[in-house]
Amino acid sequence: MDFNEPATDRLRLKLRYKVLYHVGHNCPDVDDLVQETLVRFFRAEQRQTIRNNAEECGAFLNGVCRNVILEYRRRMRREPLLDPDQPIPDTAIRPEAEILEMRDAIDNGLAELAERDRMILRALYLEGKEKEDICKEWGMTDAQFRVVLFRAKERFRRVYNAEMKRTSTVEH
Amino acid sequence: MDASMNCKMEPIEREEVIAKYLSRSLDEEAVEEFEGHYLGCDECFDELQVSERMAADLRSSSLAWKQSGGISVLQFKGHAELTHATKELDELRREVLEQKDTKVIIDLSRVTKIDSAGLGQLMSCYSHLVKNRGMLKVLNPVPEVRKLLDMTGISTLIPAFHDEEEAVSSFGEQPE
Repeated sequence: MDFNEPATDRLRLKLRYKVLYHVGHNCPDVDDLVQETLVRFFRAEQRQTIRNNAEECGAFLNGVCRNVILEYRRRMRREPLLDPDQPIPDTAIRPEAEILEMRDAIDNGLAELAERDRMILRALYLEGKEKEDICKEWGMTDAQFRVVLFRAKERFRRVYNAEMKRTSTVEH
Repeated sequence: MDASMNCKMEPIEREEVIAKYLSRSLDEEAVEEFEGHYLGCDECFDELQVSERMAADLRSSSLAWKQSGGISVLQFKGHAELTHATKELDELRREVLEQKDTKVIIDLSRVTKIDSAGLGQLMSCYSHLVKNRGMLKVLNPVPEVRKLLDMTGISTLIPAFHDEEEAVSSFGEQPE
C-alpha cells in the first residue's frame, strides 16, 4: 500500500484519537505510543505481512496499537508513580484559546437548530437512547429521524470544516 | 490507507455505533471492531470527529457571558424557551446565581417563549442581584415576551432596553 506523507499523517491522527480514548487526555506518553505503533506497523509492512486492503490494514493497525497500549499499561503498573508534587504535563491537543475559537464557530452551527432537533440529538449522543426509543418518544418515523440527524450533522460539518481549514491556514 | 474506500456501513447504523462509542456504552469487542474499522476508513473517522464535536457542543451551556462597558451581559447562544422544565431555565438560574457580578443584563432577543416558570426565574435572579447591591435589566425582548413582562408588572422592576449601550449606561444612573 502507498503510505505517502499525508497518508501517514492521517494514520497518526487516527491513532492518536484511539490512544487518547484508551489512556485519557492526561497521559504524557500519547505521542510515544502513537509513534511506537507506527514503527511496528511499517516494519510489518516492509516484511509485507500486511494485505493490500484498507479494511484488513485497519484491523491489523488496530491490533498493533492495542498491543502497544497493553504493554504500556503493564509497564506503568511496574514502574513507581511520579512525584505527586510534579506538575501534570500539558498534553492538550490544542491550546485553550484555539479550542475556544473553534467552540465559538461550532456554537454558531448548532445555534441554528430547532430546540426539538437539539433534544433529539442530545437523546442520541448524550443520553445513550436507542433510535427506536427516540422515534417512539417523539412520534417520528425512521425517515424523519434520518432527516433530523443528517441535517444537523451537515450543518455542523460545514462550520467545523471551515474552521479546521482556517486553523490549518493560520498554522502554516 | 485509501481515503476513497467505499464504506459499507449503513449511515444510521454507523451513527448509532458512533454515539455509543462516544458515550462509552459499546462493549469491548464492539469498540475493537469499530476502531479497527475507522483506522482503515477515512469516511467513518471523519464522521466520528464531527459527531464528537457536536456531542461536546450539545453538552455545553446554552448561555454565554460577555462584558460590555464593565457590565456582564448574558446571552443565549441559540433560540431558547424559558418555560417549565427546560434546560435553559436551569442554566439561567445557575449562571446568574453562581457568578460574582451583580450588575447584569440578560439579552432576551433569542427567547421566543416565556411562561410563569420563566418569569418567576427572572424575578428570582432580580431578587438575588438586588440583595447583593446590584441590578438586573433585560435587552431586546421579543414582543410576546415584552407583553408578558408588562402585563405582570415585572417591567417596572426589571427595565427592558432595545439598545445595549443605553442599557449599559443606565447602570451609571443607579444610586449605589
